[in-house]
Amino acid sequence: MRETGAVIFDDLRAIQLRHGFLPKAELEALSARTQTPLYQIHSVASFYPHFHLMPPPRAEIRVCADMSCHLNGACELRAEMETRFAGLAKSDVEIRDVSCLGRCDHAPAVSINDRIFTGMNAETAEAIARAAMRGEELHEDHPQTQRVECASDPYDGPEKYRVLRQLIINKDYDEVLATLKESELRGMGGAGFPTSMKWDLVRKQPVAEKYIVCNADESEPGTIKDRFIMTHLAHLVIEGMAIAGLVTGAKQGILYIRHEYHLQEEILGEEIRRCYRVGLLGKNLQGSGLDFDLSVFVSPGGYICGEESALIEAIEGHRAEPRNKPPFPGVNGLYQKPTVINNVETFANAPQILMRGVDWYKSAGQGGSRGLKFVGVSGHCAKPGIYEVPMGIPMREVLFGYAGGVRGGRQLKAFAPSGPSSGYLPASMADVRLDFKALADAGSMLGSGAIVVCDDTTCMLDMALNAVRFYRNESCGKCVPCRVGSQKMVDLLARWSQGSVAEAQYRADLGLLDELSHAMAQASICGLGQIVPAPIQSVLKHFRSEVDAHVLRGECPSGMCMSAARRAGEANRVGIRP
Amino acid sequence: MAASTTPPGMVDITIDGAAVRVPAGTTVFDAARMNGVTIPTLCHLQNETPVGVCRLCLVDTGARVLAASCVRPVEPGMKVVTNSEKVLSARKTLLELLMADHPAPCARQTNSHDCELETLAQAAGITEPRFAKRTVARGQDDSSLSIAVDHDACILCDRCIRGCDEVRTNFVLGRMGKGYSAGIAFDLNSPMGDSTCVSCGECMVSCPTGALTNKSVTGTAIAEGPGAEGFEAEELLKFPVFKGVSGTFLELNRGAIVKRRFRKGELICKEGDFGSTAFYILEGRARVSISTPIAHVKTQGGSKGLFKRLTSTLVGREEDTRAEEAGDKTIPIDAAVDLSYGNPVAELGPGDLFGEMTCMNFYPRSATVRAESDVVAYEMLRNVLDIMMKNKTFKAQIDETYRRRALENHLRGVPMFADLAPDFIEHLKETVELQRFAPGQAIARQGDVADSFYLVRIGFVKISENYPGGELVLAYLSRGDYFGEIGLLGGGVRTANCTALDHVEVVRIPGEDFRQMVERFPTVRRGLELVAEERRFANQQRLEMIQGVPIDQFLSQGLMEAQSLLVLDLQNCTRCDACVNACADAHDGVTRLVRDGLRFDHYLVATSCRQCRDPLCMVGCPVGSIRRRNSLEVIIEDWCIGCGLCARNCPYGNINLHPFEVMAEDPENPGRKKATIKQKATSCDLCTHLKEPSCVYACPHDAAHRVEPRQFFQEVIHQGWKIK
Repeated sequence: MRETGAVIFDDLRAIQLRHGFLPKAELEALSARTQTPLYQIHSVASFYPHFHLMPPPRAEIRVCADMSCHLNGACELRAEMETRFAGLAKSDVEIRDVSCLGRCDHAPAVSINDRIFTGMNAETAEAIARAAMRGEELHEDHPQTQRVECASDPYDGPEKYRVLRQLIINKDYDEVLATLKESELRGMGGAGFPTSMKWDLVRKQPVAEKYIVCNADESEPGTIKDRFIMTHLAHLVIEGMAIAGLVTGAKQGILYIRHEYHLQEEILGEEIRRCYRVGLLGKNLQGSGLDFDLSVFVSPGGYICGEESALIEAIEGHRAEPRNKPPFPGVNGLYQKPTVINNVETFANAPQILMRGVDWYKSAGQGGSRGLKFVGVSGHCAKPGIYEVPMGIPMREVLFGYAGGVRGGRQLKAFAPSGPSSGYLPASMADVRLDFKALADAGSMLGSGAIVVCDDTTCMLDMALNAVRFYRNESCGKCVPCRVGSQKMVDLLARWSQGSVAEAQYRADLGLLDELSHAMAQASICGLGQIVPAPIQSVLKHFRSEVDAHVLRGECPSGMCMSAARRAGEANRVGIRP
Repeated sequence: MAASTTPPGMVDITIDGAAVRVPAGTTVFDAARMNGVTIPTLCHLQNETPVGVCRLCLVDTGARVLAASCVRPVEPGMKVVTNSEKVLSARKTLLELLMADHPAPCARQTNSHDCELETLAQAAGITEPRFAKRTVARGQDDSSLSIAVDHDACILCDRCIRGCDEVRTNFVLGRMGKGYSAGIAFDLNSPMGDSTCVSCGECMVSCPTGALTNKSVTGTAIAEGPGAEGFEAEELLKFPVFKGVSGTFLELNRGAIVKRRFRKGELICKEGDFGSTAFYILEGRARVSISTPIAHVKTQGGSKGLFKRLTSTLVGREEDTRAEEAGDKTIPIDAAVDLSYGNPVAELGPGDLFGEMTCMNFYPRSATVRAESDVVAYEMLRNVLDIMMKNKTFKAQIDETYRRRALENHLRGVPMFADLAPDFIEHLKETVELQRFAPGQAIARQGDVADSFYLVRIGFVKISENYPGGELVLAYLSRGDYFGEIGLLGGGVRTANCTALDHVEVVRIPGEDFRQMVERFPTVRRGLELVAEERRFANQQRLEMIQGVPIDQFLSQGLMEAQSLLVLDLQNCTRCDACVNACADAHDGVTRLVRDGLRFDHYLVATSCRQCRDPLCMVGCPVGSIRRRNSLEVIIEDWCIGCGLCARNCPYGNINLHPFEVMAEDPENPGRKKATIKQKATSCDLCTHLKEPSCVYACPHDAAHRVEPRQFFQEVIHQGWKIK
C-alpha cells in the first residue's frame, strides 16, 4: 500500500499528544528526521485547526457558531460563557467559536478540549469546563447509538456483502456500470454528478495505480446524514467502495472521515477489520486473485477538506487547498492517479441498486424521482434528526411530517434545503419537492440534504451573515476572490445588520454586493468561493423588506441583531483561526 | 479553420474571435501571449509553475464559470473571450478587493514605482476601493539584513514561495495559516533574519508588491575611492562564491561591493580605525600586523615623598608580569590567522577573508593590513557579506581555510592546549564544526545537557548565571576564549547560559572528541580541571556573597565585589578636586578618577572601575585584550591597540586612554619608523604601587576614603540609607 500523507499528520498528532501542542523544537526535530523543510511542516500545521502551535489553555471551550446551533441560542450561550469565565487568565480558559461540529440535531454543541458535548446550556457547559480546568478526563456523549433498521439496507439477515461476493466471482463489471447508468444514480454529496460516468472514466484510464476515496468529511452546517449512514449502514459504504474498486481496477480505498466523528471512526474500523478477517477486503479476495485494501483517514479538520481536490491534497499531507480544474480527479486524482471520489451515501446506494435492481430504485422515489434519501432536519423543528425519505417527496411532508413541524407552535418562516449553500427559501415554497431538478428550478439545490428550519422569530439578514461568516472562516485562502471577498462580504453585511446606512450608500452597497457576488461566483477556484453569495442573494430575493428595515431604519424586525450579545460578539469574530 | 486541417500535436482555438493555432498543452494565457493578446496577471511568472491563485488572468471559455488562463490548457475548438464585460467586471472587482487591503503606496511603489498591483489598479481606474479596509494589521518583519518584509502588502501570489522552492531550491518560504488570516512565513514562522534564509534575494525579486523589498543598508554605496571598480552583476555571478544568488539582487546591491586594486606597499586598513566592510582577497598577498607596542601601562616611583610625581611607562609582560595575565601566546585578530605575541605579523593570500568582525558587528579594525604585492580584493558591506556567508560554496571554503590555517594556532593559542599531539589536531580538523549564531541566540542554556566544547572564533559570547534577583554576567568571551568544559568535566549539565551577544561564530568540538582529548593528554585535563575548579570556586564565593546582601540591591547598584571603592563624604568634601588632580599627577597627567557617581546618603561613590555585573567595556574589543579573569577584576592585556572602544563603552567613564610617544611604522613610508603618538587603555589601578591611593592621600578634608564594598553596603543597608 502506498503511504499516505497521514504520516505527517500522525507525526504531528503524536507530538501534540505528548505536549498538548506542537513545540518548535519538536517540529525542528521532525523536519530533520523526515527531511522535510521546516516551512512545509509549519504551513501544514498552521492550516488545520486541529493542531495547536501554542500551548492550549486548560479548558478550550469552542461553541459551534453555525446555522442550527446559531438558531438554538449558540450566540447567547457563548456570551453567557464569557460572563461566567470573565477575569480568568487565557492560560486557564479560552472561549471561541468553532465551525459546525456535525451535531446539528442536538444543538447547541460545544467542544471542550476536543470532546464534543451536545444540547448544551451554560450550567452544564460550565461544569464540564471547570472539570477540564481541574485536569479531569472528559468523556463525550453519543446520543443515538441504538441500532436503527433502515429501508435502504437490502440485507435483512446477517449475511451481507452479497453483491460484492457475487462480483468477485462473476467479475461482470460492465453489468455493474450498465445498471448504475440505467438507475441514473447521482452523487449525494451536493454536486449530483452521475456516478456511473465517474466510475467509467476512472475504469478507462490506462494506469495501474488508481484510488477509491470515500468523502465522509461532511462539514456543511446542517449536514449530519453521513454520520447516521456510517453508524447504521457502515457495511453498505464499505461494500460500495469495494465494488467501485473492482469495477475501476483500483486496489486501494481510503475513507476520509472528519475528525469529530470519533464513534463512526470506531464503527467503520471494526467493520473493516471484520471484512479483512472474512476475506472481503485485502489481498486475494475470496481466493479470486483480486485485491482491495481499505483504510480510514482521519481528517485534520476543516470544511474545505470536503472539496474533493482539497481532500486529496490533505491525504497527500499538504494544505487542503483545492486544485485548479481541469484536470479532474477521475484523471489526475490522488498522487495524480485516476481516482473515484464519492460521497458516503453514494457508495451506500450502489449495493442497494445492484442488489434490488433498477426497478426497485425507480419505485422507491416519488413523482418520478428515484431512490431513498437520507436528510438531516435541524433548526427550529420539533423533532430534529436524520430521516430516510423517498426522493421527490414534498418538502412540506419532511418538515411537518417527519420532523414534527415547527417547534413551540411557531410558524414556519423559511428553510434551507441544504445548509447555507442552498440559500433560504420562504415558507410559501415548502411544497417544493426534494429533487435535484425541482430544487434547482426553485433557485436552490438538493445538495447534501441538510434541511434547516427557521421559525417566525428568525432574522434572515442575521442568518445570511451567519452563513457568510461560516464561509469566511472556512476559506482556505488560496485564491483572492474567496479569501478577500468573503471577508469583505462579512464586513458589508455586518455593517448592514447594525443599521442606519444612508439610502444612497445602501444603493451603492447593493451594487457593490452584486459585483462582488459576480466575481466570487465566477472567479473562485472551487465551490466554496463560488457559493458564498448564495445565502445573502436568496435573502435579498425573498426577504428584502427585512434587510431594508435593518439598513434604512436601524430596526431588526426579529429584535435580535441590535442586542448586546450580538454586538459584543462581533468584535471577537474576525476569523476563527488565531 | 476546420479541425480536419489541424496538424497533429497542434490545437486550433479562437481568442477574442481570432483564429489561433498553438501546440497541444499550451495554456490559454500563453496562447494569448504568443498571439499578441496580453492578459493581466499578478501571480503568474514565466519561469515559475503557474498556480492560478490571483485569478486576474481569468477568461471566458464558455464554461459554467470563468477560467484562470494561466492554468487552463487549450482544448480543440475552444472559444476564448478575454475582454467581455463579464471578464472585465470580475477582474476589476478582484483588483479592488486587493487594493482595499493594500498599504498604497507600498514600499515598492515608493522606491521604484513598479508595484504591479498598484499599476494594474490605476489602469483599471480604481482610486478609492469601496470595500472595508483590513482592520487587523499583519505587520512588518525587519529582521533580515538585506530584505524588508511588509506582510500587509502581501497578496499571497505565491511567487516568492516558488522563487525560493523552484528557482533556488532553498525551501524556506511557505504559506501559513488559513483563509483571510493566511500569510507567508519563513521556516516555522521565524523572523526572516533568524530563519534558514540564505538571502539569495529571489523572493524579493519575484514579489510583485512591496511585501518583499530590497533593504537599503546604511551607507550602501562604498565610496568609489582610488583603485575601486564597481562591476556588473554578471561578472560577479561568474565567481563560484556568488553561485545561487539572484542577479537582480546583486544589481540592487551594486554599491555594496566593489573590487579594489592596491599597489604593493599600499595600506588596506589600519588598526583601531572604524569601518563597516570586509575584504576578500582575489589576487596577491597582504601583510597583517599590529604596530602599537605590545605592552601595558605601568606606573612607578614616588614611594615616599609628598606629591612626588609618578611616571607611567609601557612595559611588556616579560619585564612586568601581572598576576591576572592570561599568558596567551597568540593575539586573536579579525582574520583567518592569529598573530603571535612575540612577533605580531602574518600573511594573507587569495581566498582569505578578513574584516568580518568589523563588517558584521562594526568593531574597530583589529590590525593593520598592507599590500605585500599588488593586491586585488573585493570590499563589501554587511548585506553582501551576509549573502556570501550563507552561500554553501563560500562557507565551505572559509571553513576549509579555517581548518587548514587557523584551527591549530587557535587551539595552541590557549596555553593548556599547547601540548596536543599533531595527530590529534589533524583528527580535530575533520570533526570540528564552525557554527554561527545570530545576536541574542542561545548557544547553551543553564541546565541543558552538555555535549560540546566551544572555542570562540568571531564575536562575543555572554556567559551568565540565573539568580533569583536576575541574571549575572560572568564574562564576555571573545576570540581565543573557550567555554563548555565545566559541563563536560562535571555533572554533564551546563552551569551557565552562553548567549551570542552579536554575530558569533564558534568552533564546536563534539563532546566525544573532548573526552578523548582529556583522556589522552593529562596536561590538558589537569589544566582544564584547574580552571573548572577555579570557576566553580569563584561561583561558590559569588553565591555566598550574594546571600549576604540582597542580589537585587547589589545588581541594581552595579557595584560588585572585590575592589575597594573610593567613597567621598560629601559633608566634608569641599569639591576642591584635589583628589582628581592627585590622580592625574600620579598618572602622567591623565586622571583615572571623576568626582561623580552614585550617592548613598551623604556618600558619593566616585567613578572608578567597579567590575560591573555586565562589563560593557569588554564588548567589541577587536583584539580581545580587555578581559575579566576569574577574580572578576578587569585587566587590559599587552596587545591593546588603543582604539578606545572600551573607554567609550564604559558607562561610568572609568577607562581612559593614555597617550605615549613611540617609534612606529610610518604609514607614508613603509619600512621606515617615525615618532608617533599611540594610546593604551587604562583603568584605576588603586595606585597599588603606593601605600595609599594618591586620591585619598591628597584629600585635605578627610573626605576621601577607600572602603571595602561589602562592608560598606551592609552598613548602608543596615542603617536603611536610601540610594539617591
